[in-house]
Amino acid sequence: MPERAPSTAGGLEFAGLVRQHQAMVFSVAWHFLRDRALAEELAQEVFLSLHQHLAVLESAEHAQYWLRKVTANRALDVVRRRQRRPMVSLEAVAEPVAATAAGDPMLGETLRKLVATLPEKARMIVILRYQEDLDPAEIAEVLGIPVGTVKSQLQRALALLRVKLSRGHGEKAV
Amino acid sequence: MNLEDELRSALERREPSPDFTNRVLARVSGAPARRAARPWVRWVAALAASVLLAVGAVEYRRYQGERARSQVLLAVRIAGGKLRKAQKKVQTLHMVRRSVT
Repeated sequence: MPERAPSTAGGLEFAGLVRQHQAMVFSVAWHFLRDRALAEELAQEVFLSLHQHLAVLESAEHAQYWLRKVTANRALDVVRRRQRRPMVSLEAVAEPVAATAAGDPMLGETLRKLVATLPEKARMIVILRYQEDLDPAEIAEVLGIPVGTVKSQLQRALALLRVKLSRGHGEKAV
Repeated sequence: MNLEDELRSALERREPSPDFTNRVLARVSGAPARRAARPWVRWVAALAASVLLAVGAVEYRRYQGERARSQVLLAVRIAGGKLRKAQKKVQTLHMVRRSVT
């Protein structure tokens, strides 16, 4: 058991914050990067950064907002910097092997794969919208972009996902 | 099928590895804490910088004074040499006039 760091500041207990928010931080990174090890590494870095900034965080809500913002922006940075996955437009992605239908246990995985092919910003917007249940104004604040951009990118991403999924159904029918 | 509901379900939060919290806490304990410089270190650094500046200023003024003094001495030596030469010429002229008269 590692020695606990004396990390309480502004009434926030570091270990408690890690336990409370690790699923959120890890999931944003994992859904965005689709690489478990990389997502865990990024999540750890985010919490180390949180530890260094603990003194300036005023409340649990502030810490949650800070974590979300830092995780989203660092994940975007990782992809831009490393370019581990070449960017492929959604239209260029091959159709899922198995066609999907509502209630299909494969649908979740198919959707996650399709989300992973979205352009970086649109992908993060979709994750913050449907994983974190943020509204467009909140997403705009987290990513530092206009609300209008969030709304248009979200609509475009949903339209592309619908097209891909319906194409899968069509192929199955045929 | 409602795509938005399916996305909510597909993008549900997931937990990281069971030892994630402990690994983060271990890294935090191992990481050198970023401490602010102690107040006395700042005062000592400021004092040392002030002393260095003062000593530098005094030394510079002394150097400038010595340089000016040596320049004045050189000028006096040059002027003295010229005066001696002029004096010799005047004496020679006097001697020539006397011998003629």
